[in-house]
Amino acid sequence: MDFRGIYDRLRAIRAPGLTGCDEPRRPNPEDKKDKGRFGDPFVLVEPAWLPAFLEVARDDERLRFEMLIDISATDPSAEDEHLWVNVQLLSLTYKHRLAVKCLLPKAAPVLPSSVDVHRTCQWHERECAEMYGITFEGHPDPRNILLPEDWVGYPLRKDYVFPEEYHGISCK
Amino acid sequence: MVDPVLSLAAESQTSQINDWLWTVKPDFVPGWAVPLTAVLLAVGIAIAIVSMVTMAGTWLERKVSGHIQCRYGPMRVGWHGWLQPIADGVKLLLKEDMVPTGADRPLFLLAPALVLASIFGAMVAFPLAPDFYFADVDLGIFMILAMTSTTTIGVVMAGWASNSKWSLYGAMREAAQVIAYEVPLGIALLVPVMVAGEFNLIEVSNGQAGGMGVFRWYIWPWMNPFMLPAFVLFFVAILAETKRAPFDLPEAESELVAGFMTEYSGIRWSFFFMEEYAAMFLYCVVGSFFFFGGFESPLTSLARLTDVHVLVQVAAAVTIVTKGFAGLFLMMWLRWTLPRVRIDQVMTMGYKYLTPIALACVLGGGAWEVAVSPHLPWVN
Amino acid sequence: MTSTETQAGSITRTEGGVLPTGEREFMLDVKTSDLEINMGPQHPATHGVMRILCRADGELCTGAQPHLGYLHRCAEKIGESVEWLQYLPYTDRYDYLAAMNNNLGYSMAVEKLMGIEIPRRALMIRTICAELNRIGSHLIAFGTYGLDIGAFTPFLYMFREREWMMALFEKICGARLTYSYIRIGGVFNDAPPGWLSEVERFCDTFDVKWQEYVDLLMVNHIFVKRTANVGVIPKDMAIDFGLTGPMLRGSGVDWDLRRDEPYELYDEICREGVFEIPLGSGERGTLGDCWDRVYVRVMEMREAIKIVRWCLDNIEPGPVIADIPKTLKIPPGEAYVGIENPRGELGHYVVSDGGKVATRVRVRAPSFVNLAVLEAIMPGTLLADAIAIIGSTDIVVGETDR
Repeated sequence: MDFRGIYDRLRAIRAPGLTGCDEPRRPNPEDKKDKGRFGDPFVLVEPAWLPAFLEVARDDERLRFEMLIDISATDPSAEDEHLWVNVQLLSLTYKHRLAVKCLLPKAAPVLPSSVDVHRTCQWHERECAEMYGITFEGHPDPRNILLPEDWVGYPLRKDYVFPEEYHGISCK
Repeated sequence: MVDPVLSLAAESQTSQINDWLWTVKPDFVPGWAVPLTAVLLAVGIAIAIVSMVTMAGTWLERKVSGHIQCRYGPMRVGWHGWLQPIADGVKLLLKEDMVPTGADRPLFLLAPALVLASIFGAMVAFPLAPDFYFADVDLGIFMILAMTSTTTIGVVMAGWASNSKWSLYGAMREAAQVIAYEVPLGIALLVPVMVAGEFNLIEVSNGQAGGMGVFRWYIWPWMNPFMLPAFVLFFVAILAETKRAPFDLPEAESELVAGFMTEYSGIRWSFFFMEEYAAMFLYCVVGSFFFFGGFESPLTSLARLTDVHVLVQVAAAVTIVTKGFAGLFLMMWLRWTLPRVRIDQVMTMGYKYLTPIALACVLGGGAWEVAVSPHLPWVN
Repeated sequence: MTSTETQAGSITRTEGGVLPTGEREFMLDVKTSDLEINMGPQHPATHGVMRILCRADGELCTGAQPHLGYLHRCAEKIGESVEWLQYLPYTDRYDYLAAMNNNLGYSMAVEKLMGIEIPRRALMIRTICAELNRIGSHLIAFGTYGLDIGAFTPFLYMFREREWMMALFEKICGARLTYSYIRIGGVFNDAPPGWLSEVERFCDTFDVKWQEYVDLLMVNHIFVKRTANVGVIPKDMAIDFGLTGPMLRGSGVDWDLRRDEPYELYDEICREGVFEIPLGSGERGTLGDCWDRVYVRVMEMREAIKIVRWCLDNIEPGPVIADIPKTLKIPPGEAYVGIENPRGELGHYVVSDGGKVATRVRVRAPSFVNLAVLEAIMPGTLLADAIAIIGSTDIVVGETDR
């Protein structure tokens, strides 16, 4: 199915947390500032409903998104007050993909963990948590995965300041 | 009361040295010092011979592995690297002698010495030529098997004393493996011992004399058809005893870095290494004696025709050393070809397959010896 | 509750370690604990700087916990501070054994955002390079796996072919390991004269050598006994853990991005039926064991040669790079492109706000995802099997840590 078909199906089965979608568009010729939006379409989902949404997407017979390819996060800019959580889903049965996005407030980026739906989320969520400071509630093992256990700060945020030193090693 | 030292057989080298020392002894030297010096000198010569064999073994290993892997091996130190072992020895002597913190120091230092001492003890029973031996041990093969078993103690000591979990793994695997394979080793050796009726290595070799030096080897089916399976079992068992691939789990390089030897460096490590090659050579030589004729070969038969004593001895020595090195080459060839067998598969094979087959060989070989052999004209 | 044999020869169940006669069972108060072994950052078998904390009861592994981050080089953070084209050398360095594929993945993601068309000759050369690099990567995977299992020689034989492959790449782009050759818009420069015929000679020789490797290692009885029935990953576990590549196909799931979501020229290649997708079938043991994964990798090498030959037959002269400005300004948007890396699906998720520098470059590394399955399959295996399992996941720590 193409994106339109998937989105219509999601709406038809009332997928939990679905709030909207965003599709690429050409730049508006009247508006000089508008450069358009290119790339992939995605679906917007409420963060609190993400695991439920993923479960429905996995189990529905017309969608069958059995494999979760990636969960990552993005900090669009230092001024933007949201963090994005991007999920890439893949269906082996129907050979279609879906991109899901959740918007989290930077002040309190919390959402439930999807570990029970796809076990692969465990490590992806650990990485998002340590790099962006997102808390995944219900995660069985929320340790740092790539960074040392005592690292301070969330490196991939746009307003991150690199520390001066770490355990006596100068970071300049 | 017979002097225990002088009760060595008259022709052994040790007693010859002893006799010679008596003739040149100055008066102030007490009587008990002479046999002691003789023994020490003989041991020194034995150690020298074994060390040379080990050095040649390491050189051979590096060249064989190199050529199997489409490369040359050592080429610079001497012609085709024949001086490489000496260079290695010098380097190892000059290395820092490290004992890890937390290691059990006395055991750590004792282990390599124990391992090497066991092998040298076994080497005492190895005759270089029919008239050149350090002790005419009537219990030849029995003593060799017993002495080589004690190397296990040294290995387990090394693994334990290193204070490293990986070394402990290597030591435990080694102990299990070696003990498991001593059973088929001993039983498989019973077949030629039955045919020869002897434990003494020189007598076993003499029993295979004749037939132009080749046709009366015990391995041939017309001597005893159960010899070939016994030899195969023996060979597999010695691969496991010397911890060579495919049974090199105790020193599994890619798993345990160097197994029980991980924490050893410098000359102590080289002791383990020397023990490995000395044991390989010793087992190959034992196999040559019991299955492949020992001193007997066309060369020795030719030398016997000339009736010159020294020539016969030299021919015999050349023969046995060549056979030993041929076995060594085969072991190296297998090492660089085959992957490693897992420890539980090793133990299963040893206890569940090799031991019953070895027992079957002994039964069959014994039955053949009693029922069929006396009627064969070429055996007697 | 434990059981002991009484003098009569029957098994009695004891309660609390006390026999029916009132005696205490022998050695019940001896506490044994599991040995915690550190397959530390420096270890010959972990294929890089990675730490696996194993808990072992004797030789039986009861738990495994990988610890990563020793090779973390902040690739994703750097993506947000350098220009689009300047990021290309960083892509080489995550999976340094298949650098062409990494370049390809990143370039394709950016090209999707740009919406440009790549010239046909560039696509052909890209495919040849990617498939040759797949062969090189699988040669290392198989060779080092043999090394882990104890076969020292096949590794050196395979490196002979890999040296030739690296020499080919040196001729075309100047580098042996990290190429930065497949660029946004095409490839950096055209193949030098004689390169294509040398690739053909490589293909001819490789077919012969491939058979040698199979005979020497893959069907060797000891190798089969070490890898069959070891580290079985059932189909649903593989999908649940998001495994891709030979890990997934070894468990019998028929999914290959080159055929199922074709990119570049694979659409045409698959329509002409040039190559097949090897699948694990439990031929020597159980479906999804280590041998199946090795089988998939070894067979993939042969199929890759077929793809290279097709490209050599169909390549035509032409431009090798699209007409793009020197300083790229990618239109705003976000795109995800996944390609079939030798290790699995390598995904690049790029976000652009219209500027010279990316807002986000997310690398979905197959080794990172494939490694997670270790925690689930290692308990219950022997320690020597643990080595076999880690080797069969074919991870590159550069990719795991980025």
